[in-house]
Amino acid sequence: MNRPAPDALAMRLAELLAQAALKNQRAFADLYQLTAAKLFGVALRILRRQDWAEEVLQECYVNIWNHAGDYAAQKSAPLTWMTSIVRNRCLDWLRRPQREATGDEYDIAVEAWQDESPGPLESLMASSEAAALARCLRELDARQRQSIMLAFFHGLSHSELASHMKQPLGTVKTWVRRGIERLKGCLAAAA
Amino acid sequence: MASYKSPELRDKLAAEYVIGTLRGRARARFQALLRYDPDLRRTVSEWEARLTPLSAAAGEIAPPARVWQALAGRLAGAKPGGGAWTGLAFWRGLAVTGGAFVLILAAFIGVAPRPEPPMAMVAVMSDDKGVPALVVSWPSMKAMRDPYVRIKVVQEHPVMAPGTTWEMWMVPAGKSAPVSMGLISTDADQTMKLKPALASRMEGAWGVAMSIEPKGGSPTGVPTGPVIFKGQCVKLL
Repeated sequence: MNRPAPDALAMRLAELLAQAALKNQRAFADLYQLTAAKLFGVALRILRRQDWAEEVLQECYVNIWNHAGDYAAQKSAPLTWMTSIVRNRCLDWLRRPQREATGDEYDIAVEAWQDESPGPLESLMASSEAAALARCLRELDARQRQSIMLAFFHGLSHSELASHMKQPLGTVKTWVRRGIERLKGCLAAAA
Repeated sequence: MASYKSPELRDKLAAEYVIGTLRGRARARFQALLRYDPDLRRTVSEWEARLTPLSAAAGEIAPPARVWQALAGRLAGAKPGGGAWTGLAFWRGLAVTGGAFVLILAAFIGVAPRPEPPMAMVAVMSDDKGVPALVVSWPSMKAMRDPYVRIKVVQEHPVMAPGTTWEMWMVPAGKSAPVSMGLISTDADQTMKLKPALASRMEGAWGVAMSIEPKGGSPTGVPTGPVIFKGQCVKLL
């Protein structure tokens, strides 16, 4: 399948969202085809359960269908808007106490982040819009970077981070907070 | 809470909200605040814009086809009267399920508002990407005085270019030369009368196709323009 370049993709998605807002079903089907795998990846990594991820993905697309008209008012890129809907829905989903991840089922998933594994950072570098983010993440202390990425990619809460990284809760909270501050400073300087 | 007024704290909370470490009641409280605070929403958007490229770097995982099917079903259910949507949802789902095809199809045709004889055959016509566009169905042609086929649009048509027409073709079994069925309009639901000679052959149809032709139809008796929709026939009776 021939994939459009990021900018072309963003334009195409914005156009499809505008048409979906007018209840154009064909446009919505195309929108789904272009974005479902990206958004499902996001949901699956955070929720770590296939059935939950499928349910959340469905809900999010219902949401996107119903609120496509609101997109025009947003300043963000279409995929950012859609990804945020999915991420927020996932995090809300995990908020229900019985759904907090328990055991070690995600240990395999997060192994890539055990060390300073550059995997996803490398692929970030490939896209110019994200290159600054990748560079700034590299500049963080390894533990700050690891905690932010574990939280962002895999939906780990502070307490899950603490148990996963075998550190006191206060320590990981500080890593996340300092990481955020440094990241913001670095990105502001890069802009 | 007065502390929400501190710009540093607002920014920190927005970042943790986007990263996902803001949980439980703190998250709920923050969301309530977001509803009334456009400035805070802007701060959140900025963090989303900063961090979302990370999601893109994480790789794609295709969801199973049942997600789209369930989604389409939900949207169809939520919008009674959204006929075209029901159609699309419906046919999209069918494209994947295969086996359930004929049964559901029969149900679909069964709920057609007009009383008419049961449909004997049906073809779902799709574009080159496999997206369903038209459904053509017809009753048993035996003992029919005015043989016809029903054509329903399940999603909006491309625009018919000026000076062109759309011609329907019956593709006989063995895929020998297609036979013209006639010209169709852009109506969402239409009936196309058939010549008796063609009607008697419809039972043996392998498929149907639609091509773009000059005004008045193909001058040669075979498709001359591009075939934009086609579909295979399925026997219902």
